[in-house]
Amino acid sequence: MRRLAGGLVIAAALLACASAAKAESLIAALSSDKVKIESNFTGTEIVVFGEIARDAATVARAEPYDLAIIVTGPPQRTTVRRKGRFLGLWVNRDAEDYRQVPGFYAAHLTRPSVDMATRPVLEKLQIGLHNVNLPIVGKSNVPFSDRDDFRDAFLRLRIQNALYAERIHSIEFLSQNLFRTTIPLPSNVPVGEYKVTTYLLRGGALLAAQEQNLTIAKTGFEQLTFSLAHRYAPIYGAAAVMLALLTGWLAGVVFRKD
Amino acid sequence: MQIYLPIAELPVNMFTVFGMGGAVGFLSGLFGIGGGFLLTPLLIFSGIPPAVSVATVTTQIVASSASGVLSYWRRKAIDFKLAGMLLASGVVGSALGVWIFDILRSLGQLDLVISLSYVTFLGTIGVLMLIESARAMSRRRAGGAHHTRMPGKHNWIHGLPLKMRFRQSRLYVSVIPIIFLGSSIGFLGAVLGIGGGFMMVPALIYILRVPTNIVIGTSLLQILVTMAAATFLHAVSTQSVDIVLAMILMVGGVIGAQFGARTGQKLRGDQLRLLLALLVLAVGVRFAVGLIVQPEELYSVSVVSGRLP
Repeated sequence: MRRLAGGLVIAAALLACASAAKAESLIAALSSDKVKIESNFTGTEIVVFGEIARDAATVARAEPYDLAIIVTGPPQRTTVRRKGRFLGLWVNRDAEDYRQVPGFYAAHLTRPSVDMATRPVLEKLQIGLHNVNLPIVGKSNVPFSDRDDFRDAFLRLRIQNALYAERIHSIEFLSQNLFRTTIPLPSNVPVGEYKVTTYLLRGGALLAAQEQNLTIAKTGFEQLTFSLAHRYAPIYGAAAVMLALLTGWLAGVVFRKD
Repeated sequence: MQIYLPIAELPVNMFTVFGMGGAVGFLSGLFGIGGGFLLTPLLIFSGIPPAVSVATVTTQIVASSASGVLSYWRRKAIDFKLAGMLLASGVVGSALGVWIFDILRSLGQLDLVISLSYVTFLGTIGVLMLIESARAMSRRRAGGAHHTRMPGKHNWIHGLPLKMRFRQSRLYVSVIPIIFLGSSIGFLGAVLGIGGGFMMVPALIYILRVPTNIVIGTSLLQILVTMAAATFLHAVSTQSVDIVLAMILMVGGVIGAQFGARTGQKLRGDQLRLLLALLVLAVGVRFAVGLIVQPEELYSVSVVSGRLP
């Protein structure tokens, strides 16, 4: 089935090539496909680089090429809460649950997303912070008029925590076709599987796309501790207590005066 | 130097955390308290998730009370029977506390309950201690002898049934207030990440009339066991005990406590109690301000689960 679909796509692409001579293709790569989190991890960065390949048949057009490099982190279920006054105290009142929002999102763009394509195209490809899909879980008790406030607050807080970012004019062209961009990963970056997608657009239409996988994982002691805490919780708990008792006992012995 | 915390999943400055542990350890040595009520808010204000702060401080309290228990044990200043009663009920209380902690966290009201409890308990105890120490100071100035223990004078607590004899404390009291005290402090300890020494010590002195020289050792032993149970339960149910964070806090804490204990010996009891009262009140007021003043950011984001449902 998949092979058949693949064949159809290739056939369609060939057909498109033959008819419109639209021959741009895209090659992209990551500086590293695995980020290891160790005890001295304070954030890092990855470099995405690539080339827009044009063959001889490519027609020179007035519109410039647009590139959008989108990094999305592992999906999370997230709750946004709003404080309100209750009996004179500021307490959490309304809440909105988002299902499967990216734990990390970075968009590197050659120019503001609104200039690149129409809203439906941008939303489909999730290009630009305001086009990130934030689906709500089930029914929500938030009035319809306040939905946008929650959405804006979510994006604002995520930007504050450096987990979401949109950087315009951040893609550097080394030559007419060679491009490069550096995406910072903050220290609080969630672990998991990431997708780095490079989109090539022109005149509002998607010409080509390339997807790479990126894994962010704890290694060594950090990984061991985390998996022990989650998989063998009773042993981990007992070990924590023993460690604390030992430290206290040692201190008692070391600082004993009599 | 930055160090990555495997459970909190963020890096912290090792020396800042070490300094916090040391400063709180100093105060705990000075006043004979666990210091959890100071350390937990400090960690939360410095950006560590509340769940991790609360769970990890329980581990730190185990370490800091362990060295205290040892030294009181050597001086035979622990009433094991009384401590046993307190901690049996304390473990039940902390199991209940961990369970409530989980529910509150999923409801999004954990911060509110923590803040409200801090305001209520720290406010009440701070004011009571302030009055008591001010009275003691004025009495001392007037030259009169002061009695903290009044063995002949009984209150309604001593009229309750199910009496039990505690030889070392020279007490014959009902087990009902002891069970109530043990379980409620165990409960608060697990929910708030505090040992509860600052509540336990005055309660034992003023309500049960336990001799002062027995109180601290006994209360420390009760705290040690309840907090060990809380650490274990937090590790099993919320998986938020960060062993790396705990280790830095522990080392800072036990060192600070030694200096604190030495400084404490140079100060008079009523002075110490006045200072502690002011400290307790200050933390309570800080939480009250957070509840009453309109916050700059009304919204907050919390990740329910990192994994796919």
